[in-house]
Amino acid sequence: MSNPSTGTSSKSKVGSSQPSETSFKRKRGVFQKDLQHMMYGFGDDPNPLPETVSLVEDIVVEYVTDLAHKAQDIGSKRGKLSVEDFLYLIRKDLPKLNRSTELLSMQEELKQARKAFEVDEEKLGTTE
Amino acid sequence: MKQSKDPFEAALEEQEESPPDSPIGQDELDSQTQNQTPTGHHTLVDDDDYDEIGTNTNNPSHPSSNSTPMLLTPSVNANVASAAAASKNKEYDDDEEEENVDVELGKFPSSADPAKMAKMQAILSQFTEDQMSRYESFRRSALQKSNMRRLLVSITGSQKISLPMTIVVCGIAKMYVGELVETARMVMTERKESGPIRPCHIREAYRRLKLEGKVPKKSVQRLFH
Repeated sequence: MSNPSTGTSSKSKVGSSQPSETSFKRKRGVFQKDLQHMMYGFGDDPNPLPETVSLVEDIVVEYVTDLAHKAQDIGSKRGKLSVEDFLYLIRKDLPKLNRSTELLSMQEELKQARKAFEVDEEKLGTTE
Repeated sequence: MKQSKDPFEAALEEQEESPPDSPIGQDELDSQTQNQTPTGHHTLVDDDDYDEIGTNTNNPSHPSSNSTPMLLTPSVNANVASAAAASKNKEYDDDEEEENVDVELGKFPSSADPAKMAKMQAILSQFTEDQMSRYESFRRSALQKSNMRRLLVSITGSQKISLPMTIVVCGIAKMYVGELVETARMVMTERKESGPIRPCHIREAYRRLKLEGKVPKKSVQRLFH
């Protein structure tokens, strides 16, 4: 479990008590740049402290890891991992669930729009 | 940048006075024209946010505003966000579709509620510069899909990570960050501290979220617990 009293070192990994889950190489600062902007958007300073960003990244990676593992457990019963597994996992968290379904529907709409546009492009190309 | 105009803090402190330098209606154009310099990593997508805002004000300085259809579907953001910030209680579109930003049709069915959009525009027009910049960061920021995909592949060991899955996980993670940061801000106000958020606040926020059950428990079974 994550140890709240872990040292303030930015290199500390939250929840690293299970070595099997951290067998992959954890590159430092994978999301750092994006996280800085995101944290500012959510209420932090325009320049968040680097140790804070590192800690948030660790927590987020741990969260995603947990989610992915659980989704894999669910998905393995069905055969392969699918989006529905993730949706099932966050079913209790309504804002996240709504947001996810919205993102998925938006992505579908965009795909349709792109297809429609490509069809138009071809028509334009042939008529000219 | 001054923190006092932060919508979160404003909501927390029960905003008794409106920001002194928030002109009505003028601010929107100013902040939009000043937002023409994107932060670098989201180039064309960020304009779609302001496309919806700019539809009424007819802002000509947007390069792609004529061609982005971008969905005006409202989106529900983190529950804490909508509760804490009065300006964020509207559902809104996000900019996760950065993969296909080159050309879009203008005639896109907008499933947005016009009443909500009007309300949102009314709120946005009254933003100060600081609030606008923060809102812009909030809307534009996202975790990179490529990084997320790499992470998911390394976790699951399978190469078959579909694009929708990456998008969904990025969205979920962003909301999670939002919950963390906002709870950390609440912790800071309780402790009457100010300035940038420190790791101790994040840890306390994480602890509280865990108590609320918003953090998934470890998936590995633990023996002799």
